[in-house]
Amino acid sequence: MFDLEQSIADWRKQMLAAGIQTPVPLEELELHLREEIERQMKSGLGEQKAFEISIRQIGQPKTLHSEFKKSERTFVKKIMIILLGIFVVFIGTGLILPALGKHKQRNYAALSAGANFFDIKWAGDETYGLVLGTAFVIGGASTMIYGFKKRKA
Amino acid sequence: MYHVPMIRKELVAASAEPLVLSLLARGESYGYAIIQEVKARSDGKLQWTDGMLYPVLHRMEHRGLIKSRWAESETGRKRKYYSLKKDGKTAMARHHEQWSLVHSVLAGLKKEQYV
Repeated sequence: MFDLEQSIADWRKQMLAAGIQTPVPLEELELHLREEIERQMKSGLGEQKAFEISIRQIGQPKTLHSEFKKSERTFVKKIMIILLGIFVVFIGTGLILPALGKHKQRNYAALSAGANFFDIKWAGDETYGLVLGTAFVIGGASTMIYGFKKRKA
Repeated sequence: MYHVPMIRKELVAASAEPLVLSLLARGESYGYAIIQEVKARSDGKLQWTDGMLYPVLHRMEHRGLIKSRWAESETGRKRKYYSLKKDGKTAMARHHEQWSLVHSVLAGLKKEQYV
């Protein structure tokens, strides 16, 4: 005796074994399957026949999985680019802040005497940190924007 | 009567995105309804392997062309509804332009054969 619920449960197991993720997209596929079975039965088919046709129509688990993989790769690639951008911005900030801090500390006396922060001469390593840090921040921010705007992998 | 054969799978794959975008431009919809609509509008000549639409939808969602939400239908069935985003509208316009161009080149060449 054909048991529809048991057959759907078996189909789910096959999908899971092929690597289709749950709850999404497996749940979405199951809802589709149930709707198609219902439509086939309304058109006069028996439960078993309707189930067999519907699972054939929905596609092979392995083929489906490889297609889903492609869409995951697109997403993962986009996230990786954004994360890389954030990381580079952090490195840049990590270079700028100590350079500014050192500059301020070194010239604290001059500052307290009323000199303008930007008028104080910069030491070589401070300039290096500031320029390199700014380049990193700009580069990182551009990478982030590129990641957000990226449409195709 | 002239019989139009089934559309080749390469063309089916290439037309999936413009068709989904154009269907969603009419209002939000869900996977099963999208497939049925495409089948009906093409007299069953444009057939997807049903499950293959979902990776396409997910890819389009990741690319920011469409968005989705879970909701219950009037019959109480849970469904994932997709709708068009601003970038999706732009992508749709671009697809329409490109397909129109291909179509006009093809139509022009066909016409020349009968002159």
